[in-house]
Amino acid sequence: MAILEVNNLTKRFGGLTAVNDLSFTLNESEILGLIGPNGAGKTTVFNMIAGFYKPDNGRVVFQDQDITGLKPYEVCRRGVARTFQVTKPFLDSTVLNNVMVGAFMQAHNAAEARDIAWKALETIEFGDRADAMGHEINVPDRKRLELARALATGAKLLLLDEPMAGLIPSEKGHIIDLLRKINQEGFTLVVVEHDMKVVMSLCPRIILMDRAMKLVEGTPEEVCSDPKAITAYLGEEYAARDPEPRR
Amino acid sequence: MKQRSISFNWMAVAFVLAIAMIIPFVLEKHPYYVHIFILVFLFGYLSTAWGLVGQSGQLSFGHAVFVGLGGYTSTILFMDYGVTPWVGMFAGAIVATLFGLIIGYPTLRLRGPYFALSTLVFGLILQTYVVNTQMLGPINLRGAMGLLLPLKNGGDAPAVFQFATKTPYYFIALAMMVSVVLLSYLLNRTRIGSYWTAIRSDQEAAESLGINAGRYRLLAFLLSCALTALGGTLWAQYFHYINAERGMALSLSIEIVLVGVVGGWQTVSGPMIGAMIIIPISELLRAQLGGGFAGLHTLIYGLILMGVILWLPKGLNPLVMRGLKWLGDRLWSTSPSVRTPEDSGR
Repeated sequence: MAILEVNNLTKRFGGLTAVNDLSFTLNESEILGLIGPNGAGKTTVFNMIAGFYKPDNGRVVFQDQDITGLKPYEVCRRGVARTFQVTKPFLDSTVLNNVMVGAFMQAHNAAEARDIAWKALETIEFGDRADAMGHEINVPDRKRLELARALATGAKLLLLDEPMAGLIPSEKGHIIDLLRKINQEGFTLVVVEHDMKVVMSLCPRIILMDRAMKLVEGTPEEVCSDPKAITAYLGEEYAARDPEPRR
Repeated sequence: MKQRSISFNWMAVAFVLAIAMIIPFVLEKHPYYVHIFILVFLFGYLSTAWGLVGQSGQLSFGHAVFVGLGGYTSTILFMDYGVTPWVGMFAGAIVATLFGLIIGYPTLRLRGPYFALSTLVFGLILQTYVVNTQMLGPINLRGAMGLLLPLKNGGDAPAVFQFATKTPYYFIALAMMVSVVLLSYLLNRTRIGSYWTAIRSDQEAAESLGINAGRYRLLAFLLSCALTALGGTLWAQYFHYINAERGMALSLSIEIVLVGVVGGWQTVSGPMIGAMIIIPISELLRAQLGGGFAGLHTLIYGLILMGVILWLPKGLNPLVMRGLKWLGDRLWSTSPSVRTPEDSGR
């Protein structure tokens, strides 16, 4: 069953088209990978779905409701939460209080929010840092904080913007395990990621974007063997050296 | 560890309050010092109320207007319509809230300095208007003359918020300040306070977590307007006089801001601590130097402010809190505490 439908989404900034006529469907409990070179428009897609940018054209339908052009907080209330590529912790609050802000979305009072926040922290295996201040934690912890906060809102769909950027491989492995766990608990995930190894192991389905357009969509194997994908990432020369050229 | 220092903080609060309860009786022969305490509480109250806006991440440079609106509303209701200021003060709060809505509604949804500029300009416009207006329809504003509170029974009439000595004003001002600080403290433990912190830390992140930033900012501002207006009534009743020249002045707005900033902007206890330090310094300097060296006290006052802003950009509040914690650790140091899981805040 489709949880999210993106139809003909387009965003222009002056003369630059950041996202051009992008459509895709996301099924419930799926992990979708959104990949592509820098500047391909991945984050802009997130910004449009999450309400930070108004699309110039196209529609976003979440759980059969049109959420195109809603404000970010309205989108979150419908059940779509996002994380940021450049993490945005509330610096002067503890980790627990950071997560509580998200938890208030589904809580009636502070005590309930605290319980929900603790549960989210435990899911992320992050409870040991609950008392640390937002400005005290390092990059991997900031990434986990983003995740815990989004989780605590009770959203069904999480848009994760490079949740592993800047991490070392062992930390990446840890986050991958966490994302799988979250997914098994019923959350649907869209993950923007650069590391192909990560995407290959995490996402059963991938969309490759390049220059504002959807270039290839399919399983990791399909995407990797597509000459268009190789061209986008490595350039024409390498595509030509493909052992089985399609020409 | 945490449990212990929290209980110490409450004991410190109780101790200070107990001292505050006896001060007016100790200083019965020195009304001038009682007057300084009343000013401390009044400004502590006004700055804490102003600080609610700061907690939501915005700056208001026009809060004197709400002092004026509160004082004017309750005083005009008393002078011309016979309404006791005890009731009139809440009418003042409503009027201030409505004016707050006019400034806040269009501007608090915008990011950037628009709100701060609007409060500044709105303050100047309203002050100029009131100073130059005798009658607004049926309402007698009395222009530049201001409102001289008619005294009932020679100023000894508790039913209309008038008292013969300074002591009742002292306790009312103290109670108001303690109440507003307590309100701010309690709000910080709820959804509202949590959202204010989030919005002022990072608005984008807050909105992505489902917070309507504009609406929560407006809430902070309107609450602040209403509370400030209540302080305006206290002002008018205590001084028996309120005029737009002083009571709605930019200089008063700035004073409220400075007390808050020096104490610790965006903290619960900061503005109160700021008032406790700034107001006595300002008053005593004026008393000592005002006669022979007119203007010198302003200069020294200004230098002290510059020093605080230069060396303590977060205000005096963290310093005071650290001092309290140090004292707490010292007083309890005989029994080394064991850190238990309960202490971790769960």
